[in-house]
Amino acid sequence: MSNRNEKNVPTLGFLTVVEHTPGALFGGLLVLNLAGRPLEFHCTAPVKANRAQEILYGPTLRPYLYGEQIGGALIAKMKTPALAICTDQEHVLALRDQSEMPVVLVPPTCSEEAAASEHSAGYRIDAAQVAVAPPHIRSFRLGQYEVAVGPQHAADQQTLEGLWQEKLIDLDLTEPFTRIREAIEEAHGVGK
Amino acid sequence: MTELADINSLDLKIKTEVLALGWNPALTRAPQITITSETFRVARPKAVSLTCQGPSVPVKSFVFPEAPAWLQSLEKKAAAKRAVADDASSEGEPPSKPKPRKITHIRPPGDVIKLEDRLYYLLQPSLESLVSSGALEFPFEPFPYQFEGIAFLYPRHAAVMADEMGLGKTMQSISTMRMLLRAGEIRSVLLVCPKPLVSNWKREFNLWAPEVPISVIEGDAAKRSWLWRDNQTPVKIANYELMMRDQELVGEEGGLHFDLVVLDEAQRIKNSTSTTAEIVRGIPRTRSWALTGTPIENSTDDLVGVFEFLAPGLLTKGMDIKSMSSTAGEYIIRRTKDLVMTDMPPRLYRDAQLYLSPAQQEAYEIAEKEGVVRLEDMGQELTVQHVFELVLRLKQICNFDPLTGESAKMEQLKADLEEVAASGKKAILFSQWTRTIQEIRKHVESFGVLEYHGKVPHKQREGVIDQFKNDPSKHVILMSYGAGSVGLNLQFCEYVFLFDRWWNPAIEDQAINRAHRIGAAGAVTISRYLAVGTIEERINKVLEEKRELFNALFSETGQPAKIGFSKDEIFGLFDLRSPKGPIRLAA
Repeated sequence: MSNRNEKNVPTLGFLTVVEHTPGALFGGLLVLNLAGRPLEFHCTAPVKANRAQEILYGPTLRPYLYGEQIGGALIAKMKTPALAICTDQEHVLALRDQSEMPVVLVPPTCSEEAAASEHSAGYRIDAAQVAVAPPHIRSFRLGQYEVAVGPQHAADQQTLEGLWQEKLIDLDLTEPFTRIREAIEEAHGVGK
Repeated sequence: MTELADINSLDLKIKTEVLALGWNPALTRAPQITITSETFRVARPKAVSLTCQGPSVPVKSFVFPEAPAWLQSLEKKAAAKRAVADDASSEGEPPSKPKPRKITHIRPPGDVIKLEDRLYYLLQPSLESLVSSGALEFPFEPFPYQFEGIAFLYPRHAAVMADEMGLGKTMQSISTMRMLLRAGEIRSVLLVCPKPLVSNWKREFNLWAPEVPISVIEGDAAKRSWLWRDNQTPVKIANYELMMRDQELVGEEGGLHFDLVVLDEAQRIKNSTSTTAEIVRGIPRTRSWALTGTPIENSTDDLVGVFEFLAPGLLTKGMDIKSMSSTAGEYIIRRTKDLVMTDMPPRLYRDAQLYLSPAQQEAYEIAEKEGVVRLEDMGQELTVQHVFELVLRLKQICNFDPLTGESAKMEQLKADLEEVAASGKKAILFSQWTRTIQEIRKHVESFGVLEYHGKVPHKQREGVIDQFKNDPSKHVILMSYGAGSVGLNLQFCEYVFLFDRWWNPAIEDQAINRAHRIGAAGAVTISRYLAVGTIEERINKVLEEKRELFNALFSETGQPAKIGFSKDEIFGLFDLRSPKGPIRLAA
């Protein structure tokens, strides 16, 4: 379908997870070129932790579900690797452990939360994710945004800063998550 | 003395016998030990293994086509913009956090079925981000509702933009055409508008889409034929009158095809049997849009006429308002100033109820009495045209007495205009007749008067508007409803006078909205002159009912008591009866 020269197109991935009914998680990954144009969209079927996982994973359940299960499944479908994966959910940072791509947390802005609640009434963002800057993660500035990487991958900060400088990335890092939520709603016909 | 004790000896030899109990051998015998083994090991417990690793997650994937050109240009501009921003910020404060703002996405219409296509629209960048990033440049930042209008039009193959006048239908449609052209989704556009508005559209295209080449279809037959077939300019502007002449060129047999045909003032095709309506319906095209602030002028049949162009058969005459509203809802976008422009200055209505001068009153009574008698005498020959003539005659007397030239309205107008001129403001006056306008001019010349109506040649009209706008000595422009009610931007006027009333509230609204539109500096005062106890009062009553009809259809609530200014209602203005009973319509 696409006639682009994929090897030459630098892209950014935007990955988020939305919770519809309690426990039912939908993951979405939107791959944009640096102009904000959609090149790929991948979304998961609903994922729900079973009772055993809930007990045994304990506090690591969310990072496992968001990062490993959902994030892992989504990036496996990407046609070409992106420069980085942006997420608005801290738990997705766990994806970095199994991916070569830097994973960067972009805390949602107030407008994004408002837009999400306006358009996706059926979804809710995990309350823990709304924190602007998780206190236990060292944040830094990337373009106009205050972002963070996983504590085990602090070196990604330098990589990302280099990429942003080299590619002159000026993309809105929060707006694409609204698109993903709406697309998930559309694809699954839920939350309406 | 001590007594000696007797001692007796007894033989204690007791015979003993040993009984053999058998114990002794038993004692000498070595004990025999029996060992009993008890096992303490229990059976190995059964272990149940739980798989923590969940099953692999099914993923649905979509890949999208090449970027629209207007987005590709962003990549180049982004670099330049970033460089400028870097320069600016290198000396000062670090960049601040992006400000929260409203986001508008293109939403797929209901008739786009394929999920991939629907997602393609949904996943496009927000319109606001296109503007802020420099991918699309606008001379002014559009209002949020204008972004919504663009997002509505963009994916639609059939659409009615029915925003109230003054909200920027022109800008929204031009911007959407521009995006579609730059996206390569359309390549040829035909815009049809009333002839007086052609120059206005040219101006607006230059403002909102300066890079899009346009051509105006005009000139003699040979030139027009060449212009129609010229495929170098993606946008062609033609007027309705010209479509009649070039019917063969634009019809099926002409061999032309347009990706988009836009009808401005689309109420022009409300009568689906009119030649204009038939011609525009015959233009081969892929997308059809209608722009109109008055999709319903008289009755819901007007909307049916417009839809015959957009989606033939979707609406039918006689449909009840509720089902019409729900069927057409997907195709129509209508916003009113009250809803979207909360910061628009208010419209202040001032109904001036005036008593006719004695001479006018006398002339009016005679004319009405004689007129009604004449109509009644016509009996079954009476047509709506005859009644209409009487109405017009009476309305003219309400403006000026035909013999003496007395006019209660004129006296009021002079007083009002003095105030307007003294405060340095400007006013628009509307009348139904050019003759009335010329009469008014005689009385208000001292206020700096200009005229804009059907008798002013087209070539001069633009100059008139420019002069009115720029010449501080010109305080009032006299307009006819027909020529001045559409497409003109006169938002620098704060006063509107309706010297007489039009038959249709929508036309009146259009007239008022020449002044009350985006950019209006302050409140717009609308003075509606009404002669008490005359036909004007009766007409006003029907106009109010029509207004209710319009509101009922577009608010989807309630049902109006009446629909339109029907023939019966025109007859009803005089309560006409013949000796044989109520007069039946011959027309």
